[in-house]
Amino acid sequence: MIILQNLTKVVRSGTEDLTILDDVSLEIPDGQFVAVTGASGSGKSTLLGLIAGLDSPTSGTILVDDENITEMDEDGLAALRSEKIGFVFQSFHLIPSLTAFENILIPMEILGLRDARERAEKLLEDVELTDRGHHYPSELSGGEQQRVAIARAFANQPKILLADEPTGNLDSKNGNHIFDLMTDLHDRHHVTLVLVSHDLQLAGRAQRQVILKDGRIISDEKT
Amino acid sequence: MNFILNLTFREIRSSWRRLLFFFLCIAIGVGSIVALRSLIQNLGHAVGGDARELLTADFVINSTSAFSPDEISRIESVVGKSNIIEARDETIEVSVLARAADRSNENVKFVALKGIEPSFPLVGDFRLSDGRPFDFKLLENRGAVVARILLEELKVKVGDKIRIGEADFEIRDTFDEEPGGASGFRLGSRVFVESKAFDEAGLTKNTGRIRRRILYRTSANPTELVKELREALRGTTLMVQSYRETQENLDEQFKRTEDYLSLTGLLILVLGGVGVWNVSRSFVEQKRKSVAVLKCLGAGGTRIITVYLLQILVLGFIGSLFGVGLAQGALWFIKYRFAEDLPRTMSYLVQFSSAGQGIALGVLISLLFSALPLLQIRNIKPKLLLRDETGEKLRRLDPIKWTFGLLALIGLVALAAWQAGSFEVGAYFLVGLGATSAVLYGAAFALTRVLRSFKKFGSFAVAQAVNSLYRPGNQTRIILLAVGLGAFVVLAVQSLEKNLIREFDFSNRQNVPSLFFVDIQRSQIEELKQILRDETGEEPESIPTVRARISLINGEPIDFQDREVRQQQGQIGREFAITYRADLDENESVVDGEWWPKDAKADEPEVSINDRWRERLEVEIGDTITFDISGRKITARIVNVRKIDFGNSRTAFIFVFRPGTLEKAPQTYVATILKRIPETPRARLKLHILDKFPNVQIFDVMDIAVVVQKLINNFVLAISFVGSFIVLSGILILIGSVALTKSQRIYENAVLKTLGAKRRTLATILFAEYGILGLLAGIIGTGFAVLLSYFVSEYILKIDWEFNPWLTLAGILITTFLVMIVGAAASFDVLFKKPLATLRSQ
Repeated sequence: MIILQNLTKVVRSGTEDLTILDDVSLEIPDGQFVAVTGASGSGKSTLLGLIAGLDSPTSGTILVDDENITEMDEDGLAALRSEKIGFVFQSFHLIPSLTAFENILIPMEILGLRDARERAEKLLEDVELTDRGHHYPSELSGGEQQRVAIARAFANQPKILLADEPTGNLDSKNGNHIFDLMTDLHDRHHVTLVLVSHDLQLAGRAQRQVILKDGRIISDEKT
Repeated sequence: MNFILNLTFREIRSSWRRLLFFFLCIAIGVGSIVALRSLIQNLGHAVGGDARELLTADFVINSTSAFSPDEISRIESVVGKSNIIEARDETIEVSVLARAADRSNENVKFVALKGIEPSFPLVGDFRLSDGRPFDFKLLENRGAVVARILLEELKVKVGDKIRIGEADFEIRDTFDEEPGGASGFRLGSRVFVESKAFDEAGLTKNTGRIRRRILYRTSANPTELVKELREALRGTTLMVQSYRETQENLDEQFKRTEDYLSLTGLLILVLGGVGVWNVSRSFVEQKRKSVAVLKCLGAGGTRIITVYLLQILVLGFIGSLFGVGLAQGALWFIKYRFAEDLPRTMSYLVQFSSAGQGIALGVLISLLFSALPLLQIRNIKPKLLLRDETGEKLRRLDPIKWTFGLLALIGLVALAAWQAGSFEVGAYFLVGLGATSAVLYGAAFALTRVLRSFKKFGSFAVAQAVNSLYRPGNQTRIILLAVGLGAFVVLAVQSLEKNLIREFDFSNRQNVPSLFFVDIQRSQIEELKQILRDETGEEPESIPTVRARISLINGEPIDFQDREVRQQQGQIGREFAITYRADLDENESVVDGEWWPKDAKADEPEVSINDRWRERLEVEIGDTITFDISGRKITARIVNVRKIDFGNSRTAFIFVFRPGTLEKAPQTYVATILKRIPETPRARLKLHILDKFPNVQIFDVMDIAVVVQKLINNFVLAISFVGSFIVLSGILILIGSVALTKSQRIYENAVLKTLGAKRRTLATILFAEYGILGLLAGIIGTGFAVLLSYFVSEYILKIDWEFNPWLTLAGILITTFLVMIVGAAASFDVLFKKPLATLRSQ
């Protein structure tokens, strides 16, 4: 269960303060697929980053499985992400010096899993990249890179999968493929999936749709 | 742990090319330290490994005159009672001219003649060139065993006779290595004869340059015996030397030389460290996103820093190993190039201990210089994957960084102290390095400020090039510092070399004689002068000289058993040639007191002393020195102090008496000729004089100049060798810095190309940028090199300094060219990148 209470995020922009999230409260039950949509600059990615503990709010609290992550230090947050959260980025963010296989392996090695290699092979198979595992990110297409990123996000069998515009850098065919892959994995592994997208058609396929505007939730509906 | 090891391995696999400069920076620094240390250690083993063999005895009594009966009885009173004496031996040595007895052979050379007894050497092995052991019978009946090289020098062969003094000696055999080694400054090759042959050749009659030694071999530690002997010999000019002290002195000297040279190596390694620092900074910049991803995936900052630290350590270790390989290469090069000038038994292998030290230093320097840049990893936040806020926060210095900075500094001081063998020297080294860097950095700062105002006068390309020097994250000052330092060292050495060579280039000094004739008897002087007049057309200068030893200073005997005095052995206790005259010489000036009036008579003997000897003897005007002249004591008061321009004097007397005292003392003459005479007539003149006056010794300035020139050349070569390592480090830093700003340059070029700039324009900007950078580095390096060579010449070497405009200009131009070519070559591929891909990726 993810609970956001009165979340506000203010950043400094030049000499002025800019409010990105303004008193946002939200509850996401376990296993739910939520799509967060909104215009550019509405605060979608920031919201996702705060849930993942990639950044800290100016005020408010975030509870993940009853743990207040706003009170955690860097290493505590890293441990939380390692154990419970998977993240997929718009621009993939694979480590360029590692092969596709090694990129999937990394989270499991961080956690110290013994059967990491076998699981990485299985994940490669799940995203249909068995024969591309030894390739470096620069040798893969955008779609392939995002599939590797999804496999990496699922590596530690997280309870929560956060995806920030995962199809934003892909053509529609590849975008649909990636979306199907994520929903399929969501269904199979019963993870909580929070998807940020401005593609309303894709967002419409989620169980719940939250719309942000100027840092505030203007709509929260089940679809 | 698995994660750390696996990721370290994967990172090294993918980044080793990018970290090649890191690797090379360490390798060159470690290579220079290991090579210098091993070289000195090997040299130490070859020449100073066993002081007993070097002395050829357990202890030695040295004298610069014949042992008097009193001295012999004092020695016997101690040695005679001892039950540890196993054997005794006496040697006698002098530098003297030798020539072939065959008159058709016109070669004349100085030889280091040594008279020995059958028991020689008491310690050590003496073998002839063919490997057979030396047999004293070879020397009997005017036989000589000579250094093999002398055969070549005199164009003679075994079986031929050579003339030394008034006697002919038959060359019976040759040797390649003599007992006691052949180190030190020596005028001429070694010739062994019987001790008694010195008398037969008339060599003991008239020269004060003879050194005599009594040597002893003992069955036990001679330290106590040596102490007693020193006590017994107090008040004499004899000096006792034991192998144990010699060993200690040698070990100390070699250790000190090794430590000082290691500091030079450390300088190169620290420069390498600057390179490491630069590469690490660039590396962390490039890895920001990967670090953020790792943090996003759950890896803590400490674990990630450990990964990169481990990577640095592995590369530092491999770089250090490579450095050891480089050092071995350098030693082989030294063997190939200088084996003739170095001891034959010297090893050219890297010493295990040096290699170990080098590797430890390489790894530690890698760690010290990469620690701060790697700490930046702590500040990389995973949120940059969502929103990239580069820059400002990364540069902030926090308390942890200050702490690590301080630790790195302490580590560096510890390393310098370790290498110098002294905390004080290590600290001085770092302060000196810091001050030099600060001054160079300051100069770089000032010059770049000045340059900024010039950009409006140049073309578009020059203006862009100047702009590039100020781009954010620019490496201008660090490049100027590193390359400037390299140019500074190389040019300072070159400038010093030019000044030293000019100083010792006697051929251009009209006041320096080309030939000295010494030990001329009163009965011979007129005839000799006539010969010189006839053969050279020049009126030779002749000066009466009296041989004297210092006996007392202010009524007190000099304690020749004192350690410091012993270290100046042969200087204070030697026989001096002193003269008397009414006038100051042309190249002398009185620096204290007053020169005596020409015709007035003094109440007591008066003497003038050279200013350097005033310091050495610690005497002042009004003090007295008692001279022993053929057993007669004459006490003279110091009335003035003279400075002598040694580089421009016909003769240089340390002591000059006021007329009225020495005229009746036994005296010989010195004659000098200024005229430069070509080699063949010069050799003939020497032969003529030697035939007529076998007791007269002739010193040819050309012979001395050749030896000095060789010493200077070796010195310059050695320092230039080290200097070239510094230049290499500077170039590596330059290349590393180019890499650091490359992504920015690619972006700028893409924008300029989009705006219509042609490749040629971009190439011009590139060359102009590095040309300007090289020019500035050249100006800084040569400017400070000129200053350093001036101060070293004037205040340390005390030689005349002359500005060499061509060297300065060449230094600036070569540095400019080098930086321009290296810098442009390292960035040239940037010109061929397509702009669209670059702009898309931004």
